[in-house]
Amino acid sequence: MTAAKPKAWLARLLLALLMTVTLLPFLSMFTAALAPSGSYPNGLSWPDDPQWNNFVKAFEAANMGQLLLSSTLIVLGVVPISVLAATMAGYGLAKLTGGRNKWIYLVFVAGLTLPFEAVITPLYYEVRAFGLLNTRFAIILPLIGLYMPFSVYWMRAHFLNVPNDLTEAAQLDGATRWKEFWLVQVPLARPAIMSLTILLFLWTWNQFLLPVVLVRDPSLRTMAGALGAFQGQWGTDVPLLCAGSLLILAPTVLLFLVFQRHFVAALLQGSVKG
Amino acid sequence: MAGLKLQDVRKNFGAVEVIKGVDLEVEHGEFVVFVGPSGCGKSTLLRMVAGLEETTSGRIEIGGRLVNNVEPRDRGVAMVFQSYALYPHMSVYDNVGFGLKLAGTPRDERDAKIRAAARVLQMEHLLDRKPAQLSGGQRQRVAIGRAIVREPDVFLFDEPLSNLDAALRVDMRMELARLHTDLGATMIYVTHDQVEAMTLADKIVVLQGGIVQQVGSPLELYNRPANLFVAGFIGSPKMNFIEVTVDGTTNDGVRVANSLLASPALVGQRQGMAPSDTLTLGVRPHALQLDDTGPIGGAVTLVERLGNETIVRVRLDAATEITAALAGQREIALGEPVRLGFEPVDAHLFAADGRRL
Repeated sequence: MTAAKPKAWLARLLLALLMTVTLLPFLSMFTAALAPSGSYPNGLSWPDDPQWNNFVKAFEAANMGQLLLSSTLIVLGVVPISVLAATMAGYGLAKLTGGRNKWIYLVFVAGLTLPFEAVITPLYYEVRAFGLLNTRFAIILPLIGLYMPFSVYWMRAHFLNVPNDLTEAAQLDGATRWKEFWLVQVPLARPAIMSLTILLFLWTWNQFLLPVVLVRDPSLRTMAGALGAFQGQWGTDVPLLCAGSLLILAPTVLLFLVFQRHFVAALLQGSVKG
Repeated sequence: MAGLKLQDVRKNFGAVEVIKGVDLEVEHGEFVVFVGPSGCGKSTLLRMVAGLEETTSGRIEIGGRLVNNVEPRDRGVAMVFQSYALYPHMSVYDNVGFGLKLAGTPRDERDAKIRAAARVLQMEHLLDRKPAQLSGGQRQRVAIGRAIVREPDVFLFDEPLSNLDAALRVDMRMELARLHTDLGATMIYVTHDQVEAMTLADKIVVLQGGIVQQVGSPLELYNRPANLFVAGFIGSPKMNFIEVTVDGTTNDGVRVANSLLASPALVGQRQGMAPSDTLTLGVRPHALQLDDTGPIGGAVTLVERLGNETIVRVRLDAATEITAALAGQREIALGEPVRLGFEPVDAHLFAADGRRL
């Protein structure tokens, strides 16, 4: 008991420290967002005259309403298809391929090692060749492809853990592969599907590089991609940039609050299954 | 409902042959048990009948129909797995009814069948629960219910009781026997437990190394084991084996001797042997009795008092011990010298190649 107490305090101190380190940038962004537009606020100083309407200005300057819609469309284009394809592929790789075809899975693993930034230039020419430059498809289609290695890996890991007896029981019960997949495997995979959905949503929402490179019209980009709007020809409006960033963060924070339980599960799953 | 026929059925996993040519006929309504030690191929053989393992060669017929290339779902079989394999996300009701739902059975009919199966298995109160909320025995009941509602031609059981505790296993064993009587269906049951095999089976198939050692009724196997393996596998405690040489024949049988035996023993068997042949004498522990003039003598090394009987281990020499199951409660002390005898008809002789003579 007496030995545990100092340890507990030490743990709390560490947690508090970590929390401060994590929160400081946000606090700094928040105070900076309240500084007069066009100024260069420094550090953590609370402005004398907080400019709350910076948020309104940022919302209007970056055309946030339009961007919110655009981001939503992109997320809706990317996430359901990715999750569906990854679930089917994961099941196929875990349960239906064996022996000589096991190597197929390694192709996806190879995809995992590919850094995003390395493919951006070839991607640009490819998207241009398809004539999709400057459309939302320029973001949606590459993202689906880029997410596949991780997503398939994730779902395969789940399906590997489902006992084969269940598959066999379903087969003997008269299920075709397709019915077994939808009626037995998918309901059981719900936690894995849920966490994958959340992760893909976050990554899509925060996608910055791809929209900036492949789409010139900011109203077709994701919200994060719209941050470029605050980098003018003659400099950057720091307070508006900060206010805009906070606005962009808001939906993910809201989502987190709603799906908190699943988020934690998603992260734990990652830690176990690697 | 239908019988089952296997003709020279073989199975290879890569280069390894695990089922080495099995021939078997199962009549309609028979309860057949595949029994053998782990790795003997009994589960593989069952899974081949179910269609979960491909058959490398040979014919498998269910109800007179060749099913080698028929999908598991179209073979008219239902299987109960060792792990139960219940769908964790469905209630008991939906688990039992899943096969019927897939078959497109109308809702009313489905409901009636599910409830009838639940009644048979006394699990009507469990229908709304999820598998996770059930005990092992209840889960096994659900798994059996799932098989019953499909009204299959052949029921397949893959070690269904081995995950249950000892007391429950005895209960479920009796229930399975009752179920077989009630349904009159063909059942094939895999187990490594020879007691389950003896109590449940109409016909036992003893397998070892992918080869059928013997097929027969429980008592046939007990009384006339075809070879040393079956003799040692069927019966508990295990049969005692002592190497002996043929000493001579009399009107009552053959006399065998060995330096371990206190005196030559008489076995009620006369055919297939010549004087001075080396044979193996097999005597079941329950055939041995205390007998001051008996051929087997040694010091007691272990006494187990079970109440209805007393199991004693007797050391003949440093390497050989035999087991005797003596009826009733006996006053025997550790280290005490005893003499044991047996009726000539209760002993078995096996040739050098293991065959029973």
